[in-house]
Amino acid sequence: MPQITRTWLGFAAIGAGLIHLALVTSSPLPVAVVLAGLGIAEFGWGVLTFARDRLVGPRIVRAAALAPVILWSLLVVGAALLDATWLTSLLPLIPMSIATILELFATAVLSGHLRRNQDPDNPPPTPEAPTAGRYLLSILAGGVLASALVTPALAATEAGRYAQSHGGHHAEFVPAQVDDDPLSDLVLPGHQQH
Amino acid sequence: MTKSPNRLLATVFGAVYLLVGLLGFVATSAAGVGFFDPDGGLLLGLFEVNIFHNIAHLLIGAALLIAGLSNVRAAKSVNIAVGAAYLLLGIIGLFIVDSPANILAINGADNVLHFASAAVLLAVGLGADKNVRASVA
Repeated sequence: MPQITRTWLGFAAIGAGLIHLALVTSSPLPVAVVLAGLGIAEFGWGVLTFARDRLVGPRIVRAAALAPVILWSLLVVGAALLDATWLTSLLPLIPMSIATILELFATAVLSGHLRRNQDPDNPPPTPEAPTAGRYLLSILAGGVLASALVTPALAATEAGRYAQSHGGHHAEFVPAQVDDDPLSDLVLPGHQQH
Repeated sequence: MTKSPNRLLATVFGAVYLLVGLLGFVATSAAGVGFFDPDGGLLLGLFEVNIFHNIAHLLIGAALLIAGLSNVRAAKSVNIAVGAAYLLLGIIGLFIVDSPANILAINGADNVLHFASAAVLLAVGLGADKNVRASVA
């Protein structure tokens, strides 16, 4: 696999890992345990992808990347069918959607890699190493894109609820105007309406 | 230097962070921002900074630039170290924005930039120039 693609794969894994870890604090214990395990595994695998020349366990990782997507999809569909919105509130929409995008990207890249390497007797030629400038520009583009996706996702988690701008709170938390006079809504007939 | 991604990245990022640190002082002096002020001035109308944040940018920029101009091993080591520090700062930044603990005057745009810098520095530090061993790895 080309070095640049491998690095983008690492970005996707680390990004998804960070999102899953950020969801741990707001989740019930059984879900939190699964998310913590998944997040640590994704983060660790992402770092390994940067550091190693070869992908570690691509088949297992592809299945592991697809499993949360399928489980979350089933949860969303099940909640809609059963009209149980509390189920979807366990896992917030924005962070889970962005994690799903990253996981689907990883699944697609890994599937392409596995298809090209199906025949062990006839491996594809080793791709040429990119020049330093091209490599850096590609990494920069991938890093900026991944951060632009991951940061709003993290901001939408429990941690991010504290991360609102100074003006944001005032607009959202202005208490409703309470009318002290309980009779103010009554329309009483005037003299002309008698 | 142009053949080593680590040296190239450290040099470019170092120069950019030095420039950002210097421009930050223009933003903070115009807005009358204090050293640890949680409400900083806006750099480029987007990134919130205070004086402490500017000094951090200057130090990081200097470290990256010196390492980038020195040798591959130093550049790789500093890229990994600064990348890890930015990742940690990005995570902490999500919790402290809008709180008195925000002594770096971090806002949402800063967080995106910190995560992006961490991703790029760690990816290049860990992934490029593998024939050279980093002193912190």
